[in-house]
Amino acid sequence: MSYSTTHDAVPTLPAASLSPQLRSGPSHWLRSYWLMVRWEFMSLRLIFPIMVLVQIFMGAGLVIGFSLLFEEVPPLQAVYLSTGSTVVSMLVVGLAMAPQLVAQHKMAKTYDFMWSLPVPRLAQAMANITVWIMVTIPGVILALLVANWRFDLDLQVSLMVVPAFLLTILVATSVGLAFAHALPNPMVTAMITQVLIFVILLFSPINFPPERLPEWLQVIHRFLPFQHAANVIRGSLTEGLAQNVGESFLVLAAWGVAGWGVTAWVLVRRG
Amino acid sequence: MNHPPSMSGETLEIRRLRKTYGTDVVANDDISLDVRPGEVFGLLGPNGAGKTTLVNQCIGLLKPTAGTIQMGEVDLVARPAAARQLCSYLPQAPLPIDSFSVEQAVRLVGQIRGGGADAVRRRADELIETLELTEWRSKLGRKLSGGVLRLVGFLTAAVWPGRILILDEPTNDVDPLRRRLLWHEIRRIADNGTSVMLVTHNVLEAERVVDRLAVIDGAKIVAEGTPAALKTRFQGQLRLKVQLEPAAERPDAPGFARQFAVVGRRLLVAIDEAATLEAIEWARALVRHGIAEEYELAPPTLEDTYVSLIRNGSGKNAGGDDELLDDA
Repeated sequence: MSYSTTHDAVPTLPAASLSPQLRSGPSHWLRSYWLMVRWEFMSLRLIFPIMVLVQIFMGAGLVIGFSLLFEEVPPLQAVYLSTGSTVVSMLVVGLAMAPQLVAQHKMAKTYDFMWSLPVPRLAQAMANITVWIMVTIPGVILALLVANWRFDLDLQVSLMVVPAFLLTILVATSVGLAFAHALPNPMVTAMITQVLIFVILLFSPINFPPERLPEWLQVIHRFLPFQHAANVIRGSLTEGLAQNVGESFLVLAAWGVAGWGVTAWVLVRRG
Repeated sequence: MNHPPSMSGETLEIRRLRKTYGTDVVANDDISLDVRPGEVFGLLGPNGAGKTTLVNQCIGLLKPTAGTIQMGEVDLVARPAAARQLCSYLPQAPLPIDSFSVEQAVRLVGQIRGGGADAVRRRADELIETLELTEWRSKLGRKLSGGVLRLVGFLTAAVWPGRILILDEPTNDVDPLRRRLLWHEIRRIADNGTSVMLVTHNVLEAERVVDRLAVIDGAKIVAEGTPAALKTRFQGQLRLKVQLEPAAERPDAPGFARQFAVVGRRLLVAIDEAATLEAIEWARALVRHGIAEEYELAPPTLEDTYVSLIRNGSGKNAGGDDELLDDA
């Protein structure tokens, strides 16, 4: 026996859902992007305020906390700390929070559902990154305000701040998402994020000039994105402190292309 | 069974599909099957048989090692993005909708699946009502019980199901009354022209719902057909089920038994119809002597076919599969 339809008091499923028309093109991409931004935002809705708060505390905390290392913070150091803290919080969001959420989806086995949705995968990844940018911005701005108040800084904000911030977050999230999606074991992802936070906080010339590092580490950092992210942000907020900003933009852009390329490749490839 | 597949729409055609991992793990081996529009097709098999691997290839999450998956003109292997648009998938794992209300989740996924906002809202309202979920419609996902969460998962797949609705154990944790509503809705969706692929190891339920089914075991299809056709191998047979007393010694197989299995405290004996009286005498004697608590004589079910197929197929469950026989 089977359950045949005997009552049809309710309207039947719209025939449009059977539409054989496959969706494609820019309008499908944009619609999918927008719907996935909504999905991502809704998913984080309950913890979004907490994330923003953590960002604010981290930004402000870094400024105040690091300044405790000195009896009196020299003005130059103050500028380094204030601008560096914003970079650190952006890198932590992209390289730790974003990949951890992917790892969480893998652990909860919700990953396959998310990536079986009928949207272009790159639109979906872009939506993800967009939400991370939204998480980051308020904390960064507030951290700068706190620093301004704490050290009485005279920041010179230029228009370059927009590409500098966006590129930094884009590089951090795309690199973070690249390894989170590529690594099959979410536990490994979680461990890598821990190590990265440690490296970013202590051994990257973000809150201090690179010359303080041993020479071999300086060489390595010339190729890593951390110092260059700090340089472009500093260049966009101060005058005369950052050098070779153009070169830093180029290195960052290369990392952005690589991170995004790997993310795109991992997401489009099938096992 | 009594629903002729509608003539419109296209059939999902899987041909000679093979999926291997590394050099020695074969997850799907030479699988060919059709899922027609308007049909509820059951995909049955024990854990690890290769059901999920098969589904993941249909929805573009995995790439076959060899073989084709086609729907009309569309090559689902070459175009995974198209595959995701054609297939609406309810996975076995819970959906990540902790911070969504029921209606928010259903509506948003409906739009993501291609529906317009208004049409999706009407359809979502209708589904919430049909499955009697009205009292939860504004509740957040994290506050829902497992069964309700499962139904909401079904809603997100069914709200805009596209050409193929793939449901992996949709009734897990769902109460018996809503199960009926759920099966009814699944039938309605099929009648509307969508192909439904039902992945399950709940054979008893599948028997009542599916039009046709395939049994997968050890990466291969070991049987395919309507439930009635699959049961014909046991025509003229009956099943004697005997519940033993807790401390009783296990009796030997009687002479009239065609098959004899012991699972826990339960005896399952396949007999010919001609041996009915003899079998009842035997069972009554067991009860009289305090060996058995009760017995039951019943026609064979799809589950009997299933169990015999799985045992003959791979032999890896030959030790007795408690989960399967517990409901027998």
